[in-house]
Amino acid sequence: MDAMDSSAGLPEKPLFIPVILGTPRKGRSSEHVANFVAAQVAARPEAGTELIDVRALSLPASDEGEAIKDPAFSATMMRADALILVVPEYNHGYPGMLKHALDSNLKEYIHKAVGIVGVSAGPWGGTRVIENLLPVMRELGLVTIFWDGNFPHAQKTFDKDTGALLEPAHVRRLEKFVNELVWMAKVLRYGRENVAIE
Amino acid sequence: MAQREKLKCPGCGGEMNFHAEKVDYSKALADPQSMDAEFGGALEEFHTCPRCKLTVERPATD
Ligand SMILES: Cc1cc2nc3c(=O)[nH]c(=O)nc-3n(C[C@H](O)[C@H](O)[C@H](O)COP(=O)(O)O)c2cc1C
Ligand SMILES: [Zn+2]
Repeated sequence: MDAMDSSAGLPEKPLFIPVILGTPRKGRSSEHVANFVAAQVAARPEAGTELIDVRALSLPASDEGEAIKDPAFSATMMRADALILVVPEYNHGYPGMLKHALDSNLKEYIHKAVGIVGVSAGPWGGTRVIENLLPVMRELGLVTIFWDGNFPHAQKTFDKDTGALLEPAHVRRLEKFVNELVWMAKVLRYGRENVAIE
Repeated sequence: MAQREKLKCPGCGGEMNFHAEKVDYSKALADPQSMDAEFGGALEEFHTCPRCKLTVERPATD
């Protein structure tokens, strides 16, 4: 098998797993979550990451789909082996700007892994927004995993000034989520590169 | 089934792997000629280069 170094259990090229911060809202708690998640991924020997802020993408509101591609965003998605979406729950759904950005690509996502991290003010940690995003992921050609990130009571979970995590249990939970995403990313990279459709 | 000829990667010239067929709705809107009425969008093939990670899309050949 040439896409994996089975002796070390590591892929020969590091995985690239960007984190998308899915809201432009001023004062967003999701930013603390995204920073925490990106730091956890960056600490993994087998993966690199980059934080992508939907606020920083130059996507016009006057059109939709691949017609509005941001070349840098699309290039980053092309390079990615997996994605992590940090998504606040807005009226039980996802922010429109995240969907606007995701819809600007397609081939960049095909057969890549995605993990979703929900963020909410309420007690459910964005479980409803995660469920609502799953069918969208499928249609974008992304492959979902069975772990999610859940950050309920987001305002109380991070120090609002420093962004420091105040609930240490999230470290271990997120580790399980990233473990599964890394596994799926390795398998799908092998599949994209080596397993042909008949 | 007979093995199809491998697409050449536009980035490095290496052989690409054909790993997916999927409907692309956005493409059919941008290029109405590509619309496959049976699927409601453009039926596309996706090929990935193992060397440079590039994925290219082209109309399905079936
Ligand atoms: C338009 C809007 C709708 C919201 N709807 C919900 C909701 O349905 N459930 C919930 O728990 N919190 C809801 N919230 C609160 C956010 O989940 C909360 O602000 C959380 O910190 C994550 O979003 P943020 O990154 O924008 O801060 C909503 C916030 C906004 C701006
Ligand atoms: Zn190539």
